[in-house]
Amino acid sequence: MDIELSKEDLAFEAEVREFLAENAYKNGEDPNKWRMDWFEKARAKGGWDVPKWPAKFGGPGWTPSQHFVWQKETARAGTPWDMPFGLSMLAPVLMAHGSKEQQERFMPDIRARKVNWCQGYSEPGAGSDLASLKTKAELTADGKHYIVNGTKIWTTMAHIADWIFCLTRTSSDGIKQEGITFLLFPMKQEGIEVKPIITLGGSHTVNTVFFTDVKVPVENRVGVEGKGWTYAKGLLEHERTGIAGISNSIVALEGLKEKASSVKRGNGSLMDVPSFRAKVAALEIDLMAVEYTELRSLATASAGTAPGPESSILKLKGTDIQQRIQKLTMEAGGQFSAAWGGTNAGPDFARAGMGGYMSSRVYTIYGGASEVQKDIVTKKVLGIKSSKK
Amino acid sequence: MNFELTEEQQLVSDSIERFVKENYDLESRVKIAMQAPGFSPDYWKTMSELGWLGLPFSEDQGGFGGNQLDTMVLMEQFGRGLVLEPYLASVILGGGAVKRSATDAQRKAWLEGVIDGSKQLALAYAEPESGYEPENVAMAGTMTDSGYSLTGTKCMVLHGKTADAFVVSFRTSGGVVDKAGISLAIIPADRDGLSVQGFPTVDGLQSSELTFDKVAVSADDLLGDVDAGFETLNATINDGILAVAAEALGAMEILYKDTVAYTQDREQFGHPLAEFQVLQHRMVEMFMEYEQCKSLLIRATMEVASGGKDAQRNVHALKHLIGKASSFVGENAVQTHGGMGVTEELRLGHYFKRLLVIEAQFGNTDYHLDQFAA
Repeated sequence: MDIELSKEDLAFEAEVREFLAENAYKNGEDPNKWRMDWFEKARAKGGWDVPKWPAKFGGPGWTPSQHFVWQKETARAGTPWDMPFGLSMLAPVLMAHGSKEQQERFMPDIRARKVNWCQGYSEPGAGSDLASLKTKAELTADGKHYIVNGTKIWTTMAHIADWIFCLTRTSSDGIKQEGITFLLFPMKQEGIEVKPIITLGGSHTVNTVFFTDVKVPVENRVGVEGKGWTYAKGLLEHERTGIAGISNSIVALEGLKEKASSVKRGNGSLMDVPSFRAKVAALEIDLMAVEYTELRSLATASAGTAPGPESSILKLKGTDIQQRIQKLTMEAGGQFSAAWGGTNAGPDFARAGMGGYMSSRVYTIYGGASEVQKDIVTKKVLGIKSSKK
Repeated sequence: MNFELTEEQQLVSDSIERFVKENYDLESRVKIAMQAPGFSPDYWKTMSELGWLGLPFSEDQGGFGGNQLDTMVLMEQFGRGLVLEPYLASVILGGGAVKRSATDAQRKAWLEGVIDGSKQLALAYAEPESGYEPENVAMAGTMTDSGYSLTGTKCMVLHGKTADAFVVSFRTSGGVVDKAGISLAIIPADRDGLSVQGFPTVDGLQSSELTFDKVAVSADDLLGDVDAGFETLNATINDGILAVAAEALGAMEILYKDTVAYTQDREQFGHPLAEFQVLQHRMVEMFMEYEQCKSLLIRATMEVASGGKDAQRNVHALKHLIGKASSFVGENAVQTHGGMGVTEELRLGHYFKRLLVIEAQFGNTDYHLDQFAA
């Protein structure tokens, strides 16, 4: 067992730091130009614009420790905003199950951040129980198109997405996991209506999407008809690891400590109040452990293959930690965290406090609710077969 | 031993329940909250006509002679209805301070208006660096020929924008955290040098920040004796805690019951969610938290109303338990509703937000645990 970074890893770390420092956003710069330039330069470094893609598809082909270094350093330094849907969710599916034509057609635009994707998974009646989805795709008589009808819900960024990858039902025979087909189609076309859902933090990121007789050419089907569930499952595991957000939590915890230190309590700060201090400490201990749980899973998963059931553990622990950070940030803001715009009352960070906390409640719901993650661990890891609810 | 409501209390409870049912569906509430002044002047008038605004004032002050148990019944129903009107700000807090220490002239000037709804009061005590301690008062009253001059800031003043006058704490002697040396005054909102910046809070209610720039306070403005304002301030805040605790209890009842109803309706994996044991046990725990809060609310309210020697400890215990339970019930109501739980579409999110704001008001869960243990 060896957790020290090798000489090569240390050299890589220095190179990453240098790259991130050199290309950090400078005040006054056009943010969009900076973003596109950043990815361009990362690409020139040898696939740093697509860190998780395997070398075969133009990725950097890093070792697990290099991935760790990258995650740690980018969380600290910050990178341009990015949407995970095309890059981290659809691309791995295309690599594994897409045709060569589909890979060539879609992956370059995903890589260039030219086309934004959204994910058509959940439905009003199919949340945690995703496999019971009902959005129908029927093949036309000439066999050239699918006609899609149905409703998707919680579709993140559907209102700005150019394309959607969508789970549809092509057959209701057999068990519900069968008969699901993975389709790709443009969002800006007749028959698609996007309705915003406003969440508790007051923001609009998710939507309900209605499909009425949407025509999708058969060449936009990924893999075999009826096998979409198998492809989607691997994708969900990628999503869960992403949601765990451990590197970000490490940075956020430091931010929390700084914020709490700026809040005056008695002769000291909030960080000197024993009850608050103890909660921050307990959080830090959990984070120290889960950081290594992630490293262990990183070390066993060779790049390019889907992470296994341990991604469920990461999601459970990682989202719990993210929520606790938000909760403690809200607590640190005290009564000022209740303010909702229109005031300068209290410390700057406080005013987003309750919004941040409320938004964080969704972490244990999306990407498979915590209850479902625990069911997965029960079955897949503990090996318990249960028919009882 | 008797935990039944009196006939009058039952009447008040029933009439508020009816009022809420008729006026406070989610859509109406959102509409009222979004428009200035952030509550309904019509509803406010109705509340005064029904006598609710006079509930906690003695008969010789023009009220109905009720105590904290009576307002508990009222606030619990307000909590179930997520009522927006400034009852807490004007009747419990502003009015609560005035009724305890006012001269006859001050009572006449302000309480009549509070009770008939024509005037609103607000309590301004928190400051940018006071944390949750009511005794932490930095704003100094500088002596002048005619009284005092105030310069400083008061924060998170509930319904300050619509208040006609403020009960304000300021320091006339002692150090920043001394209980002695705090004075109170009633200062009309239009007094020179006083500015009020209103803003909404997460729960759809209204708060404000007060800036004092050499605001003159005369001897007639003083509420109670110089240097001796803490007792009134603290007793008023205790009433505020009892009131929001009752409100939180009402909100928690809605949350746990809505969750039970939703799980019986919503099916996943071919079964109603209510058939999953993990959710059943969670809902049992939500219910138990609610019941525990109810018990401690009654205990603390009785203790305060009867002037028991353990009253302050009971209040600390209550605010702690209410905060802890609100968090548990709120978070699990949201979690059990899944995606729907985090939208503005269902009412539960609005109740959850109200509970969050209550948790951060008058000292949070940790603060009161520390005070209780001290």
